[in-house]
Amino acid sequence: MKVRISFQARIAGVLIMLLLIVVFAVFIAVRAATQDAVRKQAQAQLEVGTRVFEGLLEMRGKRLRDAVQLLSTDFGFRDAVASADSATIRSVLLNHGARINANDMFLLGMDGTVMASTVAQIPEGSPFPYTQALRELKGKNQSMLIVPLQGQPHLLVESTVLAPLPIARVVMGFSMDGDLAQELRSLSGLQVSFLSIVQKQPGQMISTQPAPLFDSLRGVMMNPPSDEMQMTEHQNQSFLSKTLRLGSNSDSEVVALLQSPLDQAMQAFAPLDKTLFWITVVALACSLVGALLLARNLSRPVSALAQAARRIGEGDYATPVVLDRRDELGLLASAINSMQSGIAERELQLAHNALHDPLTGLPNRALVMERLGSAVIAQRPVALLYLGIDNFRAISTNVGLEGVEQLLRIISEQLQEPLRPGDTVARLSDNEFLLLVHNAETDSAVAVADRLQRLLVKPQRIGEQDIAMDACIGIAAYPANGDSASELLRRASIARQDAAQLPGRLQVYVDGRDVAHLRQISLIRDLRQAARNGELSLHYQPKLDIRNGRVTQAEALLRWQHPQFGSVSPAEFIVLAERTGSIQILTNWVIEEALRQLAEWAYRGLVLQVSVNISADDLLDGNLADRVAALLKLYRVPAEQLIFEITESAIMREPEQSLKVLNRLREFGISLSVDDFGTGYSSLAHLKRLPVQELKIDQSFVRDLDETSEDAVIVRSTIEMSHNLGLKVVAEGVEYEHSLRLLERWHCDTAQGYLISRPLDAIAFEAWIARSQLPPRMTVY
Amino acid sequence: MRHVFISLLLVVTALQGTLASAASLTAEFVDAQGKPLPDAVLTLRGATAPPAGPMKADMDQRDVQFAPHVLAVRSGTEISFPNSDQIRHQVYSFSTPKRFELRLYGGTPSAPVLFDKPGVVVLGCNVHDNMIGYVYVTDDGWFGVSNDKGALTLDQVPAGHYAVTLWHPQGADMLPVSGGDIDIPAGGLKQRFTIAVQPNADNTPAAPTPSAFGDAFHKAAHE
Repeated sequence: MKVRISFQARIAGVLIMLLLIVVFAVFIAVRAATQDAVRKQAQAQLEVGTRVFEGLLEMRGKRLRDAVQLLSTDFGFRDAVASADSATIRSVLLNHGARINANDMFLLGMDGTVMASTVAQIPEGSPFPYTQALRELKGKNQSMLIVPLQGQPHLLVESTVLAPLPIARVVMGFSMDGDLAQELRSLSGLQVSFLSIVQKQPGQMISTQPAPLFDSLRGVMMNPPSDEMQMTEHQNQSFLSKTLRLGSNSDSEVVALLQSPLDQAMQAFAPLDKTLFWITVVALACSLVGALLLARNLSRPVSALAQAARRIGEGDYATPVVLDRRDELGLLASAINSMQSGIAERELQLAHNALHDPLTGLPNRALVMERLGSAVIAQRPVALLYLGIDNFRAISTNVGLEGVEQLLRIISEQLQEPLRPGDTVARLSDNEFLLLVHNAETDSAVAVADRLQRLLVKPQRIGEQDIAMDACIGIAAYPANGDSASELLRRASIARQDAAQLPGRLQVYVDGRDVAHLRQISLIRDLRQAARNGELSLHYQPKLDIRNGRVTQAEALLRWQHPQFGSVSPAEFIVLAERTGSIQILTNWVIEEALRQLAEWAYRGLVLQVSVNISADDLLDGNLADRVAALLKLYRVPAEQLIFEITESAIMREPEQSLKVLNRLREFGISLSVDDFGTGYSSLAHLKRLPVQELKIDQSFVRDLDETSEDAVIVRSTIEMSHNLGLKVVAEGVEYEHSLRLLERWHCDTAQGYLISRPLDAIAFEAWIARSQLPPRMTVY
Repeated sequence: MRHVFISLLLVVTALQGTLASAASLTAEFVDAQGKPLPDAVLTLRGATAPPAGPMKADMDQRDVQFAPHVLAVRSGTEISFPNSDQIRHQVYSFSTPKRFELRLYGGTPSAPVLFDKPGVVVLGCNVHDNMIGYVYVTDDGWFGVSNDKGALTLDQVPAGHYAVTLWHPQGADMLPVSGGDIDIPAGGLKQRFTIAVQPNADNTPAAPTPSAFGDAFHKAAHE
């Protein structure tokens, strides 16, 4: 609201300011123009008036002169003048002067002497003071003389009295009085003032101006400027003035002041100022109203638009801004509306993307967790099916990225088949899915899982290949297996991992599995430091040469003494190490420790062949052979004392690479042995291509060996075939005497098992050897 | 002008009759610049009495001018003022030797005017200001007025010693001046006289000129 008001005010302010500037400029311009006009008009008036004044004065002078001339030709007057009787002459002068309203009359002799006078100041017999000036008039072709006389300016005109020759001159004076000034004023339109100055003393002021101005006027007239026109001010009234010297003598002069009043002319324009003022007021009011209307017209839709923008910012995409205008604001409104729908659309998309898997369109972890959470909060029973495709990596290498995508889409469709509406299928990662089955107990969840497995196990045609998926499913149920979403998810995940180890590939979460899981995590974590902390050790299990009853071989077995969990079974931590990729570290440690031990024993005169277990990951390490060679050199142990035991499955994972490594090891002279023979899928045919010298029959065949069992056939035929291939045979897990007898009868080369000895640490082993070697076969039999 | 000659002739024939030893004076008048000076009056006063004769003269008015312009008469002469113009004139004089006024008239007035005192009588016309004529009234026995060429010849003047008086309308203050004494021999005398005259300024009043007061005034104001 504050913004709107200030916006309106600003528009109004700007408009009003602009208007004021314009009006002010117009006012100034008009003022300047009128003043200029007034001044020019006054100047023109003064000029014209001056000419009129001069013309009038001249006309008056001529008229007077003509009158005097006419008078001077009057016969009686001439007769009287010729009589030379001064009294008569004076009376005639008075008489005739009165006829033409002359104020002063003089009769002058031809030599300039006053013969008769009506002015006491200029007595008869005295020389007339203006004789010379009058004589000069003729030369200047002027008709009259203006002189100060008795403190007043007078017009003097002269005429010669002819009888018929000039006998005298008659001079008549006319006082320039107020009447004359008024007359001149009425005709010229100017204020007229006369002043006579005698010996710098001003005479009486004759003026059409009011008396209060006289002093000021006198000041101007006493010191007339050289300028032709000037601005003068008399008691705050402005005039354009012009001073004229009407007549000047050495010590006397008559000055006329003509003035054109400026104020009066300015007053003529006063109505214009008034009109301008009212125009300004009206325009200001109009512009104020207009500005407010304009601002309102602008600010209302703007605030509506702002409100709409705020609504959109708050996430309201449903309410459109309604603005029925065709101007830019209307455009803006429709743009905002389309923006709103665009944002809504994109936000939906974003929200969908945020909560869904882009490839399959299934909900993602976040969404399914939210739904699970809400089910938990609502205390609705719900079952989680954590599904993983175990052979996903193998599939992806076979069918490529596009095939995987196609497959995932098929999976996502298949996963939804057994579900009811309201249930959720989510994709958690590349090969993991989570199914949320509402109102399901563990049993019904297992049914769903079973159905899913059956669906997924059907081979799918992807491109050229038929793909069968190996799906393992872990199940956790609420409220049975947990009471929070994250716990449920974790436990379902553990169940899934457990399922991966099971042939059925299906596992319901078992209570306490999460504790086992935590133990696994700790083991994985600590395994990396185990060698450094001296927690690892090697135990040695003797291998008996059945033919001569001597022990010249042993299998090195890794033992881990965990500071917290105590002795940890290799079956537990080797699996973890293989899963986490730290198995190579262990293998290296084992090899080095075995070599070190061999070197130590050799130093004491004990020479043995020790076999070390090598995992599949080790075979993928191209440096293994070099590293082993370096260690052999370091501990000065002959390669013949070292046997590497490798499982069939390890070799079969990467046959090419494995074969390369095995060949190199063999080149050094290291013996190679196939471990756990009989548990994998490989055949003897495979074995002949490998550079192996030995074969170890898995203990599962040997442990309960007796003459009649199926195992006997397998063992016996295996021994025979191996021998045919030139391989020695080791039987593991020999626990009973009769088993050993059988093996001996079947010409098995070597036996290993609790019957001979359990695995012993290095010291115990050394002692055991010492004991057994003294009477070589005593201890064995 | 013809009348003047006629009257002069009359005078001359009268003199010839009375005087046997008559001589002649031929006078030539010039101004200061040496130009011939018409209308100059010369009078001679000698020991011999002047010849008697009819004391009458005419001052004609024609073409709104007095004719002759200057007329010299002896004191006691009656001058008639015939009007030869078609318009009327009012002849007057305020001169001291003879003040008179002839009311507006045409033709020849009934009575001539007697000029009995010597002096200069300026004649004017009250209705025509530029008509000016001069009557020079003298007591001297012999006198004459120079013609257009400034020449004057006086016949029948007895040889002898004379005092010469000269006058001209434009002379200083219009007063007669002495021309000195001359001796006229029997064989006649030819004499040259110089009269200082003032320029013809005041004598003939012109029509009033248009005043240029305003112009001059204006000019003065602008200087």
